[in-house]
Amino acid sequence: MKNALTVSGLTKTYPDFMLDHVSFAVPSGSIVGLIGENGAGKSTTVNAVLGLIRKESGQVSILGKDELDDETKEQIGAVFDGSNYPEILSPRKIDRIMKHIYRSWDADTYFRLLEQFSLPLDKQIKRFSKGMKMKLAISAALSHHSRLLILDEATSGLDPVIRDDLLDMLLAFVEDEDHSILLSSHITSDLEKIADYIVFIHEGKVLFSKPKDELTEQYGIIKCGAAQFDALDQSDIIAYRKMDYEWQVLTADRHEMHRKYPNALIVPATIDEIMLLYVKGKMKTEETK
Amino acid sequence: MKGVLLKDLYIAKSNILVTVVSLIVLGFGLSFLLETSALLVLAPVASTTAVFISITSDAGSKWNKNVIAMPVSRRTIIAEKYSFYLLLALAGLLTALIPCGLFSLFETDITLQSLWLYGTIGISATLFAGGISLPCAYLFDPEKSQIVFMMSFMASTGMIVALVLLINLFLPVKHHMLLAFHIVLAAAVLCFTASYQAAVRIYQKQDII
Repeated sequence: MKNALTVSGLTKTYPDFMLDHVSFAVPSGSIVGLIGENGAGKSTTVNAVLGLIRKESGQVSILGKDELDDETKEQIGAVFDGSNYPEILSPRKIDRIMKHIYRSWDADTYFRLLEQFSLPLDKQIKRFSKGMKMKLAISAALSHHSRLLILDEATSGLDPVIRDDLLDMLLAFVEDEDHSILLSSHITSDLEKIADYIVFIHEGKVLFSKPKDELTEQYGIIKCGAAQFDALDQSDIIAYRKMDYEWQVLTADRHEMHRKYPNALIVPATIDEIMLLYVKGKMKTEETK
Repeated sequence: MKGVLLKDLYIAKSNILVTVVSLIVLGFGLSFLLETSALLVLAPVASTTAVFISITSDAGSKWNKNVIAMPVSRRTIIAEKYSFYLLLALAGLLTALIPCGLFSLFETDITLQSLWLYGTIGISATLFAGGISLPCAYLFDPEKSQIVFMMSFMASTGMIVALVLLINLFLPVKHHMLLAFHIVLAAAVLCFTASYQAAVRIYQKQDII
């Protein structure tokens, strides 16, 4: 399978933060969710991929090219959290502007999407709600025959109904196998609905990059007492956390754990729980140090 | 460049009424206090405020990030801002000619030479001010840029005075007024061109976050 985006060893240092050799890929025809808490490095990664910030080392290959030239940019739709367009503009004016920026601008698609989202053509963006602004930004990103969509926290701050509309639109976009999406978000429930792969960034490092189905169908949480916890094989533990009345242990194969520990309570892990255990729990490697 | 320039023209259009009314009021005021032609000194500089409104608006709406992800180079983004600045200055100059033309029907102190002289001073002041403030708009945050923008007018006045005094050492300015201010204009063009190159270099290296 070809990759629409390959990031390898991406590094960027700030006085108080470091993006540390980040590597992951977005296979063609898939949606990859970039998750992590606020300040984990999601936006820095997206900014480096889009050439907004200069990387210190590492490689970014987009749509088969190592250089982010104008021809490649024609095929990328980027959406950031916020308005994305000066608020004095209206959707109709954006069409007039974009047709001079993108050679492949498709006004018919743009106006069809605006109609689908019930967005007014001549109303200034400053009078739009946050959801309307995001729908407009995504409509524009989809109106120049993009093959790769990169969305940075695009669903943050939107109500569940609008988020659901947008997620449906993204799913429709990847129906074409040549289309791919990189979606950074800290709303893991959205990614659980649509992502094919999850890349988890924590403190500037990629902790894992796995198919979502592996996480939701294989990963599990063993809920046990102290004695049961002590009896667990250390190699079965990815991370653990002591709660008020129980231990929560993240494990990579809950079905195997069921067989190995038939008396243990083992539940499926949501992406949120996996993220929490990685961030707030103790890693097995920390203890063995 | 056409697309980004059109975007900025829409921003300028939303402020055009304030600019035109200000210039007309200023024209009437000056006609009583000084020569009406002196409006040509102030008009080009006053008309360029929309550039800084657009730079602030770009950052506030994240257009500055969005446009980098579009097939538009960083050099083009800077070239567009400098072109936009020049366009506004010329539009201001032409707008100021309207009250000057009207007053010339009733006054005698407006001559072609005075219009040319004040126009030259106005454009020189505008180029010096833009030469200072435009690169700073990409170096500093919006608040600091606003301060630099306001101070650049004073700085440009100072630069013109300094240049005139310097020219006066070699050439009696009182007797060669137009020539002296043509030299000042040439220096302003050089300053603006150098500023453009500096702004491109700054922006090429800048992280847009």
